[in-house]
Amino acid sequence: MTPGDFEHKNSQRWLEYERLVAGLESGKPNEHADQLPRRFRELCIDLSLVESRMYGDRLHERLNGLVIRGYNVIYRGKRGGFEHAVSFVTWRFPCAVRREWRLFLLCSLVFWLPFFAMILSAKHDMSWIQSVLGPAGMASMEQMYGGKEQQIAHLRSEYGSNFMMFCFYIYNNVGIDFRIFAGGMAAGVGTLFFLLFNGVYMGAAAGYVNQVGNPESFWTFVIGHSSFELLGMIVAGMAGMRVGLAILNPGRLPRVRALVEATKRSLPLIYGAAVMTAMAAVVEGFWSAQEIPSNIKYGVGATGWVLVSAYLLLVGRNRGYEVG
Amino acid sequence: MMVVEKLDTLQSVELAEGVEIRLRMAGPMVRAGAFMLDLLIRILALFVIGLCLGWAGVALGGRVISGIGLLVWFLMDWFYPVIFEAGAWGATPGKRMMGLRVIQANGSPITFGQAMVRNFMRFIDAMPIFTYGFGVASCLSSKRFQRLGDLAAGTVVVYDRLQAMPVIASPPPMAAIPLPVGLSADETRALIMFRDRSGLWSEGRRVEIADQIVSLSGVAGTAGVNRLMAMAHWVQERRSDAPVAKVEKWKGVETK
Repeated sequence: MTPGDFEHKNSQRWLEYERLVAGLESGKPNEHADQLPRRFRELCIDLSLVESRMYGDRLHERLNGLVIRGYNVIYRGKRGGFEHAVSFVTWRFPCAVRREWRLFLLCSLVFWLPFFAMILSAKHDMSWIQSVLGPAGMASMEQMYGGKEQQIAHLRSEYGSNFMMFCFYIYNNVGIDFRIFAGGMAAGVGTLFFLLFNGVYMGAAAGYVNQVGNPESFWTFVIGHSSFELLGMIVAGMAGMRVGLAILNPGRLPRVRALVEATKRSLPLIYGAAVMTAMAAVVEGFWSAQEIPSNIKYGVGATGWVLVSAYLLLVGRNRGYEVG
Repeated sequence: MMVVEKLDTLQSVELAEGVEIRLRMAGPMVRAGAFMLDLLIRILALFVIGLCLGWAGVALGGRVISGIGLLVWFLMDWFYPVIFEAGAWGATPGKRMMGLRVIQANGSPITFGQAMVRNFMRFIDAMPIFTYGFGVASCLSSKRFQRLGDLAAGTVVVYDRLQAMPVIASPPPMAAIPLPVGLSADETRALIMFRDRSGLWSEGRRVEIADQIVSLSGVAGTAGVNRLMAMAHWVQERRSDAPVAKVEKWKGVETK
């Protein structure tokens, strides 16, 4: 059989297949959809024949394109939907965090050690903090937490400013989470840098206010959203380090393969980190700057820490075996 | 590696159906073009949205509007490519205009997670200082033009619809000459591709290529090209017109 004969004999079938695939691609309901698997397999056989009989590039490219289109229609992924989201919250996310508990320790240390070191350094020598914050940073800390109690609430008096700050925290803080994650691709160096930098800078800010500002106005502001925000950042760091470690230490897999596996494992972490940081933005935008007695704020903040810790430690423990 | 992979930016992938498909990988240049288009689209979209927000600001107040503006900026920055690539197009508008699509390395459509990974890793690919130096270096040093984000997500960028080969009629075969020796499958493929593509080349180029295999054709120059064409014709059409007599005649030439 010559290429011409082959084409002539089958072209009608190919046209019908192409029409079917084009219909399904457009997403409209199609009564012949159940024919697709059979027609797709026929096309696969035709393509194999063209390949093995060497009918030439022109026929091969045409059938190749048709097979790819059918393949894409058949294997079009179904989006997770509601059920997926529920299982994510009720067990897959906390299980993913617990499974990577070593990374949690690592990222926590990289953040908290410089944080507390900077706070403590304020007691002995302010020059470290001064060099980290710089004149502009110190001036803005002064403005926000310098004088009378809960000064920050007055910065929010204009209509809509709570909402604007909420949006800003989404833009800024969730963006930082994503950068921390992406930093893992630089063999984890980017991730460690961002965690370390945030630890140093936040520690410096806290130490500065402790020493020369009004600590109560600072701590009552940050305590409310700190649990979601800081733990979210650390979880983003875990996702980045998972990727970075796959590059540094791929184990028995080829490096690229190990990288793909690692990003799959890091996905629930980065989703969770984004959600936690978004929740922190809600609290920081609409609660943290309200003029409310300090005791209540501390109480709410402490409750947040307990709840988030309990969630990450306890929720979904009975499902842990499914993660493997 | 098959002969097409040596000659072309095609990569063979075997599907579960037991058939091999060929994917045409997209190189850095066409992808840079798609990126520029996307950039343009995003700037235009932000401009239009900004105008609308400006109008709405009269009613909602400046603070609310700047908040919404920040949210829009955030989504455009991080999720514009993710949403489109995870969708039915499998491509951002810019990629679609350039005829590209993002797929998994195994040929199937990408998932939301993969779209997210490959686009968030842009942050590293774009380094140093938004030159995309790392991304291009990775593209050029990987077999499938993958930038770092593609490597991490296990994705490739391919031409969605393979453009049909430019149809320039190759010189019509004058005769069908049987192959003097048995060729391997890959060698036969190369011979047929020589015929299929010869219409794209000048006569001089054809001769230049054909002269590499004088051992098969027996003659150099234009005569050699014609012989190769005739052999390719024989391979493809032998069942219909390849009289035995011609074989004998050709053997006669060989022994001289």
